[in-house]
Amino acid sequence: MGVAQVGVGENSKTMQPRRKRRRKIDWIAYGYLSPALVTICVLSILPIFYTIYISFTNFDQMHFTSYQFVGLKNYLELLNPKDPLSDLFIPTLIWTVIYALCTTGLSYMVGLVIAVLLNNKNMREATVYRTLLIVPWAVPTLITMLAWQGLLNDQYGQINGLLHGVLGLPRIPWLTNPIWAKVGIVTANVWAGFPYMMVVCLGALQSIPTDQYEAAAIDGASWTQLFRFVTMPSVWRISLPLLIPSFAFNFNNFNGSYLLTGGGPPNSNNPFLGTTDILASAAYKMTISFNRYDLGSAIAVLLFILVAFISWLQMRYTGAFKEVDA
Amino acid sequence: MSMASQWNSPATQKVVTRTKRTRLRPGEATVLWVSRVIIWCVIAIVLIPMWFVFTASFDPSNSYISVSFFPAHATFANYRALFAGGQFVIWLRNSLIVGLVLGIAQVFITAISSFAFSKLRFYGRKYGLMTLLLLQMFPNFLSLSAFYTVLAKLNMIDYLGSYILVLLGASAFNVWLLKGFMDSIPKELDEAALIDGANTWHRFIRIQLPLSAPMLVVIFLLTLVGSFGEYIFSGVILQSPQNYTLGVGMYDMISGQFAKNWGEFAAAALLSAVPLAIIFAFAQKYLASGLVAGSVKG
Repeated sequence: MGVAQVGVGENSKTMQPRRKRRRKIDWIAYGYLSPALVTICVLSILPIFYTIYISFTNFDQMHFTSYQFVGLKNYLELLNPKDPLSDLFIPTLIWTVIYALCTTGLSYMVGLVIAVLLNNKNMREATVYRTLLIVPWAVPTLITMLAWQGLLNDQYGQINGLLHGVLGLPRIPWLTNPIWAKVGIVTANVWAGFPYMMVVCLGALQSIPTDQYEAAAIDGASWTQLFRFVTMPSVWRISLPLLIPSFAFNFNNFNGSYLLTGGGPPNSNNPFLGTTDILASAAYKMTISFNRYDLGSAIAVLLFILVAFISWLQMRYTGAFKEVDA
Repeated sequence: MSMASQWNSPATQKVVTRTKRTRLRPGEATVLWVSRVIIWCVIAIVLIPMWFVFTASFDPSNSYISVSFFPAHATFANYRALFAGGQFVIWLRNSLIVGLVLGIAQVFITAISSFAFSKLRFYGRKYGLMTLLLLQMFPNFLSLSAFYTVLAKLNMIDYLGSYILVLLGASAFNVWLLKGFMDSIPKELDEAALIDGANTWHRFIRIQLPLSAPMLVVIFLLTLVGSFGEYIFSGVILQSPQNYTLGVGMYDMISGQFAKNWGEFAAAALLSAVPLAIIFAFAQKYLASGLVAGSVKG
């Protein structure tokens, strides 16, 4: 290192442009990166390309060994509103968007409100509350959603038992009525998802330097003003970038919907998918249940494009947000 | 801030009482108690479903319709049935094999590539990680039909090994997390090693690896916990019950004959969820601070 430093010193004295060249490249780095690069190539990139390729063929159970290139046929079937198969894509897309928006938005709001309430200096037992509230996040979604499937059962489930038997409300047809199934899914997902948002917002709240509050208090700011002009900007700045991946995650949250309802209840004008299938579970069902690898891949490719587009939009938005802030 | 300053000037007193817990102003007391009541309600909503599962696991009668907050005659019948069947133990073993292999592999791949990103110079260092992170916004289960058809053609369906293989990929998120951690290890240590003539491998194995051990443990645990929650590939690849992982087995339990299995399912859910939740809660602290630190850095 000593030698290198002398070298840099000489350079900066004599010639400015040569300085860039002095930066030594550790070629061995590629050796260290190879396990990651190889696995990502084989298990992420190649399958994506193969999926794109399949989506332009007629690959299904009938044509398992010999399948042909059919061009845009699968996409035209899915996207043309006059084609019967478009029932597969468009209503599913609408529900996927609603599902992702509601789950992310409600989890964020609940998490933020609770974080703000917990961040009260006078609440000495806040740590206990925080620990209790984190529990749903700690349980794997797989187990949570399967348990909710049991709890929300129309006949035997304990949620209806509580609402009907104890509170005297009418039995709610969770999981068998399309609307209530959707309400049930969003409820269970917010239940499982808000602790993450709460933890993130709490972290954001605690990272606000106390001198900001003290300065504002000396200037005579009221409690609401403190909240609006000191707390919220910081919380927004830290938590907004985390909302992007969270939304993208929920857009593809297969476990959160499929394990609860299996996509059901059935849809009368769609033989393939149920009313609560999201695009990810649509691609899954087309592949596994109906062996239509071509349609499954086409849905997956459309999903790739959608997620990329949404992420790009949101990044632009939050990027612009940052510039205004600064 | 010393106690004395509180009595000195009336001007600072207002500020001090805000931060010290000496006495609450009336408005603050109201806010505090309203917050408490709201939080208690939320905690009740959070805990009641879990309590239901808990009681169901001890309720041998499987009586759902009468909701009682305490089971009338609690027994371990469901737990005994779960172990007597024998399948639960096999599923647990399979899940542990998958989780341990994936955890160890993930730690190895993450450590070695984070070291490169944090301490070495190479082309693509600046944007490589960002590219990988963006790439992994598309989860690999979207390529399910590609995986499924290739595995089917190679006759690799229904093997635990092929299931592990599919999930073996590096996680850009973990690399990002560990790179951030390694960036915070003082440069002087690395420079001292260089002066002593250490090569790259020694710098990695003797300095960076031991110092980032806490984060590696966190990554191992999170991978382990995460593997228990994977359903899509396990549901597709593992088809015979002796190859099931816990997730697939439990899915079969509940989606099969619900009324018959609810008690046993609840017992299985508790037995698997409690250790996983404890591990996760332990690892989560580090994760949360890492997440926020990373987002601030941009």
